[in-house]
Amino acid sequence: MEHYPLLLIVALPFLAGLAAVFFPTDSRPPVTRLAGVTTLACLALTISLYPSISAGEAIQHRIEWIPSLGLNFVLRMDGFSWIFAFLVSGIGFLVVIYTRYYISPDDPVRRFYLFFLAFTGSMLGVVLSGNLILLVVFWELTSIFSFLLIGYWHHHQSARDGARMAFTVTAIGGVAMLAGVLVIGHIVGSYDLDTVLASGDRIRSSELYVPALLLILLGTLTKSAQFPFHFWLPNAMAAPTPVSAFLHSATMVKAGVFLMARLWPVLSGTPEWFTILGLAGMASLVLGAFFAMFQQDLKGLLAYSTISHLGLITLLLSLGSPLAAVAAIFHMLNHATFKASLFMAAGIIDHEAGTRDLRKLSGLFPYMPITGTLVMVASASMAGVPLLNGFLSKEMFFAEAVETHADSWVDAIAPYAAVIGSAFAVTYSIRLIHSIFLGAPPESFPRHPHEPPFWMRFPVLFLVVACLVVGIFPGYTVGPFLHAAVSSVLGSATPAYSLAIWHGFNLPLAMSAIALAAGFVLYLIAGNYLEHADHVPLFGKIQGKRIFERVMVAISWRGARFIEEVFGTRRLQPQMRLLVAAGVVAGALPLLATGLSFGSGTTDLTFAALWCIGMVCAVAAAHEAKYHRLAALALLGGTGLVTCVTFVWLSAPDLAATQLVVEIVTTVLILLGLRWLPKRMEALVEPGGLPARLRRIRDLTLAVVAGAGMAALSYAVMTRSPPDSISDFFVQNAYSEGGGRNVVNVILVDFRGFDTLGEITVLGIVALTVFALLRRFRPAPDTIERPEQQRIQRAKDEEDPDRSEDATATEYLYVPSVIMQWMFPVVIVLAAYLFLRGHDAPGGGFAAGVAMAAGFILQYMAAGTVWVEDRLRILPVKWIGGGLLLAALTGLTSVLLGDPFLTSYFQYVYLPVLGKVPLASATVFDLGVFSLVVGATVLMLIAIAHQSIRRLRAARLEEERHHGHQEERQAWN
Amino acid sequence: MELTLAIAIGVLTGSGVWLILRPRTYQLVIGLSLLSYAVNLFIFSMGRLRTGAAPVLDPSGAVDPASYADPIPQSLVLTAIVIGFATTALLLVVLLASRGLTGSDHVDGRESH
Amino acid sequence: MEWTRHLLIVPILLPMVTGAALLLFDETRHTFKAVVSIASTVLLLVAALALLGIANGAPEGSAALATSYAVADWPAPFAIVLVLDRLSALMLTVTAVLALASLVFSIARWDRSGPHFHTLFQFLLMGLGGAFLTGDLFNLFVFFEVTLAASYGLLLHGSGPFRVRSGLHYIAINLAASALFLIGVSLIYGVTGTLNMADLALRIPGVPPEDRMLLLAGAGILGVAFLVKAGMWPLGFWLTSAYMAAAAPVGAVFVILTKVGIYVMLRLSLLLFGSPAGELTGFGGTALVAGGIATLVFATSGVLASQSMGRLAGYSVLVSSGTLLAAVGMGDAAVVSGALFYLVSSTFTTAALFMLIELVERAREPGADLLAVTREAYGEDKEEVVEEHEDEEVGVVMPGALAILGVSFGCIALLLAGLPPLSGFLAKFAMLSGMLNLDGLGSPAEIPARTWLLVALVILSGFAALVAMMRTGIRTFWAPLEVIVPRVLVVEVAPILALLLLCLAMTVGGGAMINYTEAAARALHDPSTYIQGVLGPISTGALP
Repeated sequence: MEHYPLLLIVALPFLAGLAAVFFPTDSRPPVTRLAGVTTLACLALTISLYPSISAGEAIQHRIEWIPSLGLNFVLRMDGFSWIFAFLVSGIGFLVVIYTRYYISPDDPVRRFYLFFLAFTGSMLGVVLSGNLILLVVFWELTSIFSFLLIGYWHHHQSARDGARMAFTVTAIGGVAMLAGVLVIGHIVGSYDLDTVLASGDRIRSSELYVPALLLILLGTLTKSAQFPFHFWLPNAMAAPTPVSAFLHSATMVKAGVFLMARLWPVLSGTPEWFTILGLAGMASLVLGAFFAMFQQDLKGLLAYSTISHLGLITLLLSLGSPLAAVAAIFHMLNHATFKASLFMAAGIIDHEAGTRDLRKLSGLFPYMPITGTLVMVASASMAGVPLLNGFLSKEMFFAEAVETHADSWVDAIAPYAAVIGSAFAVTYSIRLIHSIFLGAPPESFPRHPHEPPFWMRFPVLFLVVACLVVGIFPGYTVGPFLHAAVSSVLGSATPAYSLAIWHGFNLPLAMSAIALAAGFVLYLIAGNYLEHADHVPLFGKIQGKRIFERVMVAISWRGARFIEEVFGTRRLQPQMRLLVAAGVVAGALPLLATGLSFGSGTTDLTFAALWCIGMVCAVAAAHEAKYHRLAALALLGGTGLVTCVTFVWLSAPDLAATQLVVEIVTTVLILLGLRWLPKRMEALVEPGGLPARLRRIRDLTLAVVAGAGMAALSYAVMTRSPPDSISDFFVQNAYSEGGGRNVVNVILVDFRGFDTLGEITVLGIVALTVFALLRRFRPAPDTIERPEQQRIQRAKDEEDPDRSEDATATEYLYVPSVIMQWMFPVVIVLAAYLFLRGHDAPGGGFAAGVAMAAGFILQYMAAGTVWVEDRLRILPVKWIGGGLLLAALTGLTSVLLGDPFLTSYFQYVYLPVLGKVPLASATVFDLGVFSLVVGATVLMLIAIAHQSIRRLRAARLEEERHHGHQEERQAWN
Repeated sequence: MELTLAIAIGVLTGSGVWLILRPRTYQLVIGLSLLSYAVNLFIFSMGRLRTGAAPVLDPSGAVDPASYADPIPQSLVLTAIVIGFATTALLLVVLLASRGLTGSDHVDGRESH
Repeated sequence: MEWTRHLLIVPILLPMVTGAALLLFDETRHTFKAVVSIASTVLLLVAALALLGIANGAPEGSAALATSYAVADWPAPFAIVLVLDRLSALMLTVTAVLALASLVFSIARWDRSGPHFHTLFQFLLMGLGGAFLTGDLFNLFVFFEVTLAASYGLLLHGSGPFRVRSGLHYIAINLAASALFLIGVSLIYGVTGTLNMADLALRIPGVPPEDRMLLLAGAGILGVAFLVKAGMWPLGFWLTSAYMAAAAPVGAVFVILTKVGIYVMLRLSLLLFGSPAGELTGFGGTALVAGGIATLVFATSGVLASQSMGRLAGYSVLVSSGTLLAAVGMGDAAVVSGALFYLVSSTFTTAALFMLIELVERAREPGADLLAVTREAYGEDKEEVVEEHEDEEVGVVMPGALAILGVSFGCIALLLAGLPPLSGFLAKFAMLSGMLNLDGLGSPAEIPARTWLLVALVILSGFAALVAMMRTGIRTFWAPLEVIVPRVLVVEVAPILALLLLCLAMTVGGGAMINYTEAAARALHDPSTYIQGVLGPISTGALP
């Protein structure tokens, strides 16, 4: 099923729009020509396709897109979509001609035409989509481009607001419709338009019918600016007039009623459909017309009249009778013709007279007689005067309104609403003509008015002529096309109808007469009042726009902030609390579901005693950490030592060794760090009182529960018989395959060497980060001073002339420093020993590395940073990089040999003194580990140690701090 | 013995958790260190407790896995110790930096009201 | 075929070697470092694509669907194995693309605002590669730590009070989470005696009832650790501050970090508690859906409440997390397929947003946000029925740079809102249609209430994003009378545009993409293929 013209109709505008971007900025004529040619081409293509659809069948162009989800790029044209395609491309063409003269020469029109053409494409897409999801896609696109076009003059506040409002309203409708279409798809099992149209009964009988209907109607009613979603349309009048003429009278707002007509065979005929649409339509019809009467902005008046006329169409569709559907479709066409012409005329007047304010305009007829005449004819058609197309569809409307379609009060009041609405229409039409063209010519205009250039008026002329011709010879002109459209919607249900002007004296004719007379009288009475009305009576306070803004602010701003503040936090403690709580809950729920059973363990009093110390240390540390940092650190160390002993006790010598060295380095680190922390501040006590105490109790409970949970879990596992673990394999193969007796080490460098690779990377990364962070380190002012002890010593030294400064400190540390310097070689040997025996006995690269690093830091402590760095130059970063590379490359060699990464080879070699040592490739790997650990540890220790020899000027510090605070203030919003 | 260790793990966890819920950065560091002790012991305990069965093989004769402590938890603990050491150091430095930049040792960089 | 075996190690080893090698060179040679770093990332992308090809080439249902690679050449389940299937290949590719984009962006200025940027960046990639490939629970922990450590470094990159404070929170919380991770893993080992995921999946059905609760406790605690990374409410408050504090390219690449949590949840929940797990099937699913929904609601209001673009971007990350968590929790192939599509799309989108913000902020005077909001709140009731003509009605010429930024911003807004024509719409559509039609379109299945709720929330969250983005966009690009044209380099715009073009490509080529994600989802829901891929066909007998 391929029909490339169809594809072309939709594709051309988009391509042309893209092309427009690549024209130079000042190329107004060519871009305009491009747009004109494009729309004309679409029109021609559409017309050329008429023969293939006139017979009543639909043509399709199908491209597979996402078949598995039922979403395909299907374009489908039948009589109904043809007539809309014709309308869109035709009026589009006229509007381009008009725009050529409307938009000021120094306006960068590229952007305008890009949006305009893209919109045209999307609109054609909407009417030609053969797949509901695809239709939604184009539907949303029209909203997007309408937003951009309304906001085209975005330097006006009103344009921005209008655009935002229009988009917000239509977009929420759009998403609702997506949901609705999804439901339809769920019911029918396909999004294909043909399939959906074929399965009306299935949809109406489904229990999901009502939700689907509501969602889709939400989409269509918002799009067609129907009550209660009508308020966006008047505000969209901030758009350039060509846009109003094209989008907001002829095409986009028609999309809603178009879709309702399209799905009419599927969705209509149920009480829900009748009630919802009936009410919405009637309200829009009457209220729209009523509001229109009081407008002072010409475009505002036309906008409300559009709402009212669309309400008329909606009402017709709601009735559910085929004849009403015919009338609805017919009126869509007629409204498009006269309303588009009126909008363009309004633009002309605005252009020539310099204002659109009906209070300012008057007596223009002598200045622009031709335009005047055209406007009068168009308005007459809008008012439904005989011999004009507006009259015909309105007659049909009256005829249907009086018919009884459902036993409901809505149906009962329909005729009256119809008459009142049309009466109002007559009134505002007369007002439009009278206040603009008749009456006394004003003393002054913002500009001197005169007739516009012929081609600017031509589109208006053309459309008005259309109104007349259709109005006088409906059967010969619009007849066949209308029939094609109607029959393609209604199919077999197409009723017999006549487009004759004269049906003899009947009720509808009488109603028309009444409406005309009433409208005229109403203007005679109230015309003067309307001329000066600054707000709409009865509804003065209720303004859609204001309500909308209030609601938006309430929900999208205040409400949202409320939720964010109540259910969120930016402080750390609550987050920690939640995290712990979550962990406890996740762990506890399964246990609570089915209780936890324990086995029995052995008892060992010495061990218990040992841990009594450990636990006391832990609790004490927890208690002291706030004020007595040093004490807390010492207590922490105590717990660490107990842990160490435990490892030895429970046959984990490797852990003990590692734990021990890590313990030492950590302590040194924290000691170095303590110097930069503020002194104990009892002054700054936690906010006391009950809430604080409650908080502490809550935290304590949480802590206790968490502890108890961990204890229970570990005890439960420890007292269970172990599962058959994969570790047996390791124990069995460590020596025979891995070449090491120390299974843990073999696991680390071979079986699970990959873990170690990652682990040392972590260490390296952290070292680099620490280094980076401390390079930018700025101590707090109260810690810049030398520590008290040093100050006293210095004072002493300075008193005594023949003492160099820091002499005292040097003397104090003389003996230890000598010892420590002698220790250096010893430490190196120890490290080497630990490293080499690692594979067979407890030890290994990590322990060795840390020991080595400890050796370096000892030198720093003993002789001071300056002294050390004068003598031995350590390049920690290189050690890190080298270590990582060494480890990685060792692993890679095996890849070269065709084995997987990190596969290890080994054999034993005899070295003097040390004797038999395993020389596995894993050892080289371990060497990498060693190098990295040395590099990382030293880098961190030195980075912190260096801070002490830094001298910072308080002034610069203050300046930076100030800067920092500003930065932060911004960041916290 | 199992009971002792379990209780010890519990107490360490409890003290650690209590500290990480406190507002001072230093308390945070100490707390996380205590917590990591607890976690390491916990991991270790997952391999059940054995005395005098260090997983250092005696190459003479056949190897019977049953006569050695489970080496896997030990290797896991080793990795955990190293990573714990690294992250503790990092946190320490970050708290120094935070103290330097914000002038407060509160975890939020400002006293809560 | 021989060399392709080793291809699995490349995504881990290549960044590692590059990162380490860069350390041997002096800081002053940053041009050289940048070139090396980018070149290596390009290679990474190539490798990822090759792996994608391998994974996609595998015939459906065959054990070859999951290719495994035993590091150090010990037999599975004893060795650490790397496993490649469609899902991991997809994640690797997304990571590589994202990395390349952020890296190119960073060379404009960010890589010089602190030492060793490229090394840290490469190590981050190494960690991610490992996390996506590994088939071993503890090895997963190690690579999580590598990723996290690198992310600490990158987050603090450039220092400053806000970075350091957010960094402190980020680090503290992740350390606590890591503790949970260790507890969970070791508990699982203590009960089942294995660390290999596939082996675990085999052993779980056989766990004696009296041990089962311990296993579940372990799994639960493990889950919490992952949910912290994924930023699920109420565990994800740290995320927005941390991400907006990070330098722009860092924030962009961080977007993938939350997805790691999602990935692991997806992988493990379906592997360990999939159909063969007997009565344990679907463990935690409901919690995930609930948590996802809560996250979605909170993040959506956060998006609306955001005053600064950075926070908006941060909350957008949470929105996608919430959506994905809920989708994963539903644990159905149709939904997961859509969710994967959404994952890719939303990752690219939010990353592009993080980079774009940095450029746009240059064009805006600080404090404009608050003003705009208050104006919206109070000032905008004034009626202007009649448009007067004091100022000529002429459109304003948009300066080129600003125009490009504006277009990108608009595209991102559409992507976040899930509006057509970009991939955001397809992703959302795929997910929703999956939720509504679990067994294919037209299946008359009854739809539970929670599904309706989720559908509504997903759609509304999109709409909220639209409102927020429109608010920001209008006051950034339309409202200012005299526009400050930001100085923007090509290398800064190019990555953003590239990501957006990818989103466009995903729309056009939506069919192929969906086919891939559907295959991936089906594979995830049939754990036997994964298990056979790792342990070989021998163990099939053990499968229930």
